[in-house]
Amino acid sequence: MNDVSDFVLFLGRFHPLLVHFPIGFLFFALILEIGSKWKKNKNLSAVIPLALFCGAISALLASVLGYMLSQSGDYQEEMLNTHLWLGVATTSIAFLTWTIRTEKIKTPLNNSEKSNTTILILIILLVSITGHYGGNLTHGSNYLTKYAPFYKADKIVLAPIAKLEDAVVFDYLVQPILHNKCASCHNSSKKKGNLSLEDSIAIKKGGENGKVIEAGKALASELIYRTTLDPEHEDFMPPEGKTPLTEEEKQLLTYWIESLDSDFKIKINPSKSPKKILAIMASMLHFEGFKKEGETKLPTVAKIDEAILNNLTNNGFKIRELIFESHLYEIVLPSNTIKANNQNELDMMLAELIKMKENILWLSLSDNLVGDENLVPIAQFQNLQKLVLNNNPITDKGIAKIKKLSNLSSINLHHTSITKSSFNAFEEMEKLKKIYAWNTLVTTEDLENLKLDIEVILGSPSMTSKTK
Amino acid sequence: MCTNHNKLSSNNPDLQAVEKQWDRREFFKKTSLGLGAMALGSLLNTTKARGNTSMTPNDLLNAFNTNKLGLPHHLPKAKRIVYLFQSGGPSQIDLFDYKPKLVDMYGKDLPDSVRAGQRLTGMSAGQTAFPIAASTLNFKQYGESRAWVSEAMPYLSEIVDDLCFIKSMHTDAINHDPAITFFQTGSQLPGRPSIGSWLSYGLGSDNENLPTFITLISKNGSGQPLYSRLWGNGFLPTEHQGVQFRAGKDPVLYLSDPENYDGHDRRNMLNYLGKLNDVAYDTYGDPEINARMTQYEMAFRMQTSVPEVTDTSDEPDHIFEMYGEDSRNPGTYAANCLMARKLLEKDVKFVQLYHQGWDQHGNCPGGVKHQSKNTDQATAALIKDLKQRGMLEDTLVVWGGEFGRTVYSQGQLTATNYGRDHHPKAFTMFMAGAGVKPGFTYGETDDFSYNITKDPVHTHDFQATLLHLFGIDHERLIFKHQGRRFRLTDVHGHAVKDILS
Repeated sequence: MNDVSDFVLFLGRFHPLLVHFPIGFLFFALILEIGSKWKKNKNLSAVIPLALFCGAISALLASVLGYMLSQSGDYQEEMLNTHLWLGVATTSIAFLTWTIRTEKIKTPLNNSEKSNTTILILIILLVSITGHYGGNLTHGSNYLTKYAPFYKADKIVLAPIAKLEDAVVFDYLVQPILHNKCASCHNSSKKKGNLSLEDSIAIKKGGENGKVIEAGKALASELIYRTTLDPEHEDFMPPEGKTPLTEEEKQLLTYWIESLDSDFKIKINPSKSPKKILAIMASMLHFEGFKKEGETKLPTVAKIDEAILNNLTNNGFKIRELIFESHLYEIVLPSNTIKANNQNELDMMLAELIKMKENILWLSLSDNLVGDENLVPIAQFQNLQKLVLNNNPITDKGIAKIKKLSNLSSINLHHTSITKSSFNAFEEMEKLKKIYAWNTLVTTEDLENLKLDIEVILGSPSMTSKTK
Repeated sequence: MCTNHNKLSSNNPDLQAVEKQWDRREFFKKTSLGLGAMALGSLLNTTKARGNTSMTPNDLLNAFNTNKLGLPHHLPKAKRIVYLFQSGGPSQIDLFDYKPKLVDMYGKDLPDSVRAGQRLTGMSAGQTAFPIAASTLNFKQYGESRAWVSEAMPYLSEIVDDLCFIKSMHTDAINHDPAITFFQTGSQLPGRPSIGSWLSYGLGSDNENLPTFITLISKNGSGQPLYSRLWGNGFLPTEHQGVQFRAGKDPVLYLSDPENYDGHDRRNMLNYLGKLNDVAYDTYGDPEINARMTQYEMAFRMQTSVPEVTDTSDEPDHIFEMYGEDSRNPGTYAANCLMARKLLEKDVKFVQLYHQGWDQHGNCPGGVKHQSKNTDQATAALIKDLKQRGMLEDTLVVWGGEFGRTVYSQGQLTATNYGRDHHPKAFTMFMAGAGVKPGFTYGETDDFSYNITKDPVHTHDFQATLLHLFGIDHERLIFKHQGRRFRLTDVHGHAVKDILS
């Protein structure tokens, strides 16, 4: 197919542009005809031959260009032939009509107005049908009706799956990507580069550049090579103007070719797939529960009454919503809000906080004379992830009171009086990863015997000590 | 029609007398305000604000100036940031980007295939030769992360396991002014808001007694000038501009009371001024009037809060020792680092340090060592100090300049000396703390530290990543100005997810 010169193809591409001229001119001829009949206007009918002539000439040009375009071989032959012959017929009849109208040839029909109108309607019908086939060639045969209200999509219905393991990787993940991003140019009726990605058979067959996938060799596969190029590159796919593949989609295709040897029948195997890929698969199939590594799921909580928030603000708390309209908050009691003279207020203030105990993700009470007893209400803050309590008179007794904070990932206790005994409580906090214990009674030696996977930061001079 | 006759904005008899003359103006006031409210409503473009007809223009303005942008878009990792801007363009080749192969190529001309027609500055474009200058500084690997650091940064090399190096930074500009402006505002041309202003606009303040965005400039660095537009608010409301703290008696200019004035009646003065401004605002509806009032009130609160926060007398000796002897000398880089920690402790959101003098066109080895001597210990100390206080967890530390330096020598290359010209195509930055991977190196350059070979990070990508760490999608933090929606990253940028922890 490559023996067609580029110049022919260059001209051919003007076909979609030029075809609109005959459509317009010929339609206009009919409109003039109707107009002249209706208003009995002779002037209008005098223009009809001109409209027909322009229509016929432009139809001829469009046909020639269309033939050039068809040489690219990107189109399905059967439909192309229908389009071609319909186009030729339209052009011929338009010319014929023009010659009859201008009396270039004499026919008995010459003055029969009725037949004139009929033949014009016939031309319009031909133009419409030809145009429709042309449109199907370019956009795909269901382009026109896809979003029609009565249209029943004949897409492959995938059986709903209950478990991730039930999904065939190709059918449920790979095929939808190819369908969305590639199939508008690479399908059974429009085969750009002689390649169709419509089904497994076509994919295995490849295109004019040979195979499109190389099992086990993602980088050698044309599919991956082209989609991962620099978008400015000439060979980049999808071409300019079309939606490129997302990072996740590329990773998934790569994984399927590289690690699953582009097996068309293989199912998802959660125990063997890397977590990252599994997360992509799960999100594409709308499965919950497979979060990216390290990503903790945020709790869903109820809205807090504006009055409660205002009351807390008036009490001196700083409140900040962590994600817009998530109702999850960071609460900070600025340092030195509580001093020796108003120490008795602290209990009351913390009691206020209980009204929104579910909604607090981060809490900071540093340098506010928080004692062991004050920590009792905080034990109820089950969604708490970060707790900052530095520069407070807190001892191991206080820590024991909050050991049930199972979502806590970081606790800041520098300049408090905790000792290594607090580590019993820390061990119970399943998600705890970091303890800040600079200037406490915890020593470097204390950490050596601990078996926790927790980073304990003791500060200078011994910066951090990581236990096993 | 005349029911508004007795409706006065002020309780003050003096003002009421003035207002009574304004019957006709009242009419215009109402109509213009109505239009203003509508315009503002469309500016906000939140259905919430538009749907609520009971909102006064003032409410709208407040909604506009505070968080009604749907922020944060996702859970933030960073709460505050300290940006240690190394102005002038530190030489990545002499500090972090170790290139051992250059030793064998010492003095040879930089191959054309490497430079590939890259434009040079006027300072070295006329050179007949571009001799390769290997760094004369010794490099070693440190920490569990085995990061390469040169001998110029002995303190930093101790904490590499807390740092996230990006060795594949690149930028668009090759000269200081446009390059710094580009880094700080996302555009090479002046007039756009700086990163700190965007954060202040997007996220608001965590401490109403101090500005959200504070700039400190070291006095012991000198070189290419810095200009206040680098911490300017651009087209954002004025209260989002950065406030510069200076060294010495007056950290903030015009903040202290003049001589022989005790300041007792200042509160009264401000109240009265506020009423006058209210009247002016009611008349004209100009948001800048509100911005100015906010600034007056902030300045008033800062009269107490600034002396408190800038006083380092209660810092123990071992902290001063940690930051280095310079830290006792206000205005030095080390003292500013210590000050930065104190400001961050007070929940100032954005502290921007500038240290000038990294522009080693000549005497590069000596210059780099000199600059490092002034900054290395304090930088490391700040990171350690934040870490031991548990603040590194939600504070982002950024170290970097506006571009890097060339592998070839600008001017004469000798066995011990060379200069380096500006190089925008590859340079190193590092970050630490909130949400970035500790002990991690991202991106690679070629053997000449000239071109990026892996994972390039553009200035806009860096800015997008920074916003991402604050819970902001950089494509959605926008401000409509002159008919166009503006972003810090303009129409570019991708958050670099690979460096996020």
